[in-house]
Amino acid sequence: MKPAPFTYYDPHTLDEALGLLAVHGDAAKILAGGQSLVPLLNMRLAAPDVIVDINRLPDLDFVTTDNGLRVGALARQAMVERDAAVRDVAPLVTEAIAWVGHRQIRNRGTLVGSLAHADPAAEMPLVFLALDGELHLRRTSGSRRVSAGDFFVHIMTTALDPEEIATEASLPPVPPGSGSAFLEVARRHGDFAVAAIAVVVTIEAGRIRRARVALGGVGPTPLRATRAEERLVDEEPTNELFVEAALAASHDCEPVTDIHGTAEYRRELVRTMVYRGLGRAVVRARTGAAG
Amino acid sequence: MATELRVVGTPARKVDAAKLVTGYGTFTDDFFLPGMLHAKILTSPHAHARITRIDTSRAADHPGVHAAISHHDVARIPYTSAGQSWPEPSPYDQYILDSKVRFVGDYVAVVAAETPEAAEDALGLIDVEYEVLPPVLDMHDSMRPGAPVIHDEPESHGMYDAERNVAAHIEVEVGAVADGVTEADTVVSEDYFVQYQQHTCLEPHVTIAWLDEDGRLVLRTSTQIPYHCRRMVAFALDIPVRDVHVIKPRVGGGFGNKQEVVTEPLAAVLAIKTRRPVKLEYTRRDEFTIARMRHPQHLTMTVGARRDGSITATHMKVLTNTGPYGTHALTVTGNTGSKPLPLYRSPNIRFEADIVYTNLPISGAFRGYGAPQGFFALESAIDEMALALGSDPLEFRRANHIRKGDTDPVSAALAEGSAKKPRVMRSNGLPECLERGSEAIGWTAKRRGGMPLRPNEGPLVRGLGMCCLMQGSGVAGDELAAASIKMNEDASFTLMLGSADIGTGSDTTLAQIAAEVLGVPLEKILVRSGDTDHVTFDYGAYASSTAYITGQSVLKAAEDARRQIVSVAGQMLQEDAEALLVADERVSSSSGKTVTLQEIVMECLYGEEKTLISGRGTHATKESPPPFVAMFVEVEVDIEMGTIRPIHLVTAIDIGKALNPAICEGQVEGAVTQSLGYALTEEIVLSPEGRVLNPTFMDYKILCAADMPKLTTILVEDPEPTGPFGAKSVAEVAINGPAPAIANAVHDAVGIRLRHLPMTPDKVLEALGRL
Ligand SMILES: Cc1cc2nc3c(=O)[nH]c(=O)nc-3n(C[C@H](O)[C@H](O)[C@H](O)COP(=O)(O)OP(=O)(O)OC[C@H]3O[C@@H](n4cnc5c(N)ncnc54)[C@H](O)[C@@H]3O)c2cc1C
Repeated sequence: MKPAPFTYYDPHTLDEALGLLAVHGDAAKILAGGQSLVPLLNMRLAAPDVIVDINRLPDLDFVTTDNGLRVGALARQAMVERDAAVRDVAPLVTEAIAWVGHRQIRNRGTLVGSLAHADPAAEMPLVFLALDGELHLRRTSGSRRVSAGDFFVHIMTTALDPEEIATEASLPPVPPGSGSAFLEVARRHGDFAVAAIAVVVTIEAGRIRRARVALGGVGPTPLRATRAEERLVDEEPTNELFVEAALAASHDCEPVTDIHGTAEYRRELVRTMVYRGLGRAVVRARTGAAG
Repeated sequence: MATELRVVGTPARKVDAAKLVTGYGTFTDDFFLPGMLHAKILTSPHAHARITRIDTSRAADHPGVHAAISHHDVARIPYTSAGQSWPEPSPYDQYILDSKVRFVGDYVAVVAAETPEAAEDALGLIDVEYEVLPPVLDMHDSMRPGAPVIHDEPESHGMYDAERNVAAHIEVEVGAVADGVTEADTVVSEDYFVQYQQHTCLEPHVTIAWLDEDGRLVLRTSTQIPYHCRRMVAFALDIPVRDVHVIKPRVGGGFGNKQEVVTEPLAAVLAIKTRRPVKLEYTRRDEFTIARMRHPQHLTMTVGARRDGSITATHMKVLTNTGPYGTHALTVTGNTGSKPLPLYRSPNIRFEADIVYTNLPISGAFRGYGAPQGFFALESAIDEMALALGSDPLEFRRANHIRKGDTDPVSAALAEGSAKKPRVMRSNGLPECLERGSEAIGWTAKRRGGMPLRPNEGPLVRGLGMCCLMQGSGVAGDELAAASIKMNEDASFTLMLGSADIGTGSDTTLAQIAAEVLGVPLEKILVRSGDTDHVTFDYGAYASSTAYITGQSVLKAAEDARRQIVSVAGQMLQEDAEALLVADERVSSSSGKTVTLQEIVMECLYGEEKTLISGRGTHATKESPPPFVAMFVEVEVDIEMGTIRPIHLVTAIDIGKALNPAICEGQVEGAVTQSLGYALTEEIVLSPEGRVLNPTFMDYKILCAADMPKLTTILVEDPEPTGPFGAKSVAEVAINGPAPAIANAVHDAVGIRLRHLPMTPDKVLEALGRL
């Protein structure tokens, strides 16, 4: 099918774009890489009156790594994936982004678009949650920053107001002694996750000082497994600890049964993946290896 | 005939390659006629209902709409959509449009309008009232006393027992299975469940219908069966066959889904009604909901054997879900038994099946045609039997498989009292397939043995599995093909074929046969195929028949033309025609005299004794020699995540003669790809109301390139004396394999038996007791 009719704008400045959004409000949709929006339009699951194409906006296709990671709204997923400096400052992003769709999708899809689209099984929201990321939102009357924890509200629903554009997503620098891991099970290469996990641990003096365990595909948004995190903090990283934390993580979520997997299977996957992820992350933290 | 082959046996480039890679419009839809209308179908939201009232007048008045029709507007003629030889063995239980709907998606009404959008919008203006009936949504309920009767209308006929929802029933026995079970020292008996699978042809069903300047109906359509289609559409519309002209352009995949007349009758009715060209094209969603699927089955497989390893009993019992219509009902399930059961020598074989109606999606023909289901059960059970007897599954199969010279006992039993003839194995390269295939996978070195996992093993565990397979080459006794060849002024030849190349490469393979016989390079053969006004009759592309059956007709036609050429050359050279040799575009005598084909054709057309070179060949046979496969697979099971990763799949296949090895390998690789999905990921998910929940490529999981294991294809050639240049079929047989081979490999790795397809991770964890 083809989309229902809409009016198309391709503003050349951010102000112009924000002005259009201020006028059209929730009758408008922003078009970035189009890899989620265009299928929705073609299947007529979305039928906005207005499309605001932000691809002509200047200065938004950046990836910087001098203080943490900053990714502009027009930086394609492939750009982030191939950037060697990203691997150094945020290896979890590099590890996870290869799981986003297929290469063709990543050549057009934007990282910020993934966050704005907020599919509960998508990889980037999960990673930004695990790494305490932030979204930079702009509107005609000003700007604000929203933490990933507050940004993801429900299935494909975020803290974005209709008149706002997310101009950038950023991650703070990772403390020394940190290691991370990303694991996913999908039915096929390139599919959205049946379940995915991201873990980050920071080790000081032989103990876990900080832990982030984030779960994807097992709730309406990516989730923090807080009980698992609490179990880990201030402990020595041992196999028994990982077993317990993984079990806790599997009870920190309420997965549902759908056509791609049962709730029980997803819970079991979470347990297995968190267990494996913790093992990997700790090794990486100790060796300083990428990840 | 020259013994050294020059064209046959080479990986020649496909005759239609250039237009495909340059994107030149060759498919049904790459065609536009002025004034063409677009048709859209209104489908049923209910699994089972009677249409108590339908009014299409508001839709008909919608701007741009030229026709909006319901069952009130078409004659009530029961027919079957199954494209088979006449009289079709499938029940006549379908109507172009009916007053009853029998599954979610059944045709209710159809609209033709100037744009697809106008047609779509008009569908919403059709007023329908339904009397909703209780549905049958599980095949196990179909025959229960008191179950709703799906075909209660008096006009339908050909069903085995309509009252009990039984479309077809089969029972055949060789020896006495009960005695065989008693004699056995070990008996393996298990239930297997297989699901709906969709063909996912890249090109959906599409038909453009119009009336030509003589008022004849023309159907440009994506079909495997141009001639059956012509006959069946004429029948369903009650018009003379001569008034129907079917054109099959390049087809973007068929796999059995287009061995059905699905879009043609509706498009035809609309073209006749509007006097305008009408295009009816399925969407991808339509393909996943209202086209056809592989039949789901519940199989019970029992094998008995003596301690010495000899099989005493083989018993397969099948319950098949044909959906609301019995298209290919009898014959597909017939194959479920008749293709696998002869594979292992057994004095007592029994096959029984009920093929039942449900209010679920329509099952139909699908590459393998019932055999993949049967082989999953048989080859799983044989593996279990081998292990139960303490023998190696490879050795057990080696000891028991059917031999060259054996008669297929199942075909013999089925042939009793009919005009058919039992199959005799005149060629059988299975021993070589087993040898070379097991070597390529590393069978002896890598078998794990299905032992319990040791504490330090895992989470990734590898295992090897295998299976043997056979199929046929055409429907024994039910095939007819013809070819004709004419020589052109530049000493090229036009080869006219009724057969349907649907992407298989048959136009190329058949042209290679002609080129070989006529002593010309492949470029000198122009193929014209699949047009009922211009080429000879053919049953069509199904049952792995084309290379074997049509191939023989091409061979005969080419030999006929060659005889004529040689006879003219004999006069020109003043030599005995019998002793002349045709090669390299010339005819030569042993004494060194020679004349070119160019000189010969000019002599024929413009010389003293004018004549036309034109060869004709017809072929029908009661033979259907099986190609054989030994398939081996290595898998890696993640015992915590439940995932199965196929690593290496080896197909060693005996096809008699590889007429074009590249095409043969392509057929094998395509078949195993499709059935790896069947084994691991592909299934139609239905709601409790019988609605398809995953009608998109996003949610229906066919494997993509990155999911594929390494594929090794080994072509084995044990010449088949009844085939052209020794060839038998290649197209289907390999599709029967991956599911049982993988199930056996999973057992080898982690000791569990998966008997329910697809083998999804949750089933693996469940079987491992981890869920
Ligand atoms: C076949 C296929 C497979 C895929 N598989 C995966 C997968 O495995 N994992 C995964 O995560 N994704 C997957 N995707 C989705 C892909 O990653 C998308 O690119 C991504 O989700 C959205 O990015 P985009 O730039 O294409 O956004 P668009 O499609 O242009 O927009 C998506 C949504 O975000 C909004 N939006 C976009 N940019 C902004 C902005 N700067 N400010 C405010 N709102 C904005 C749009 O209005 C729209 O609602 C897949 C897509 C396809 C087609």
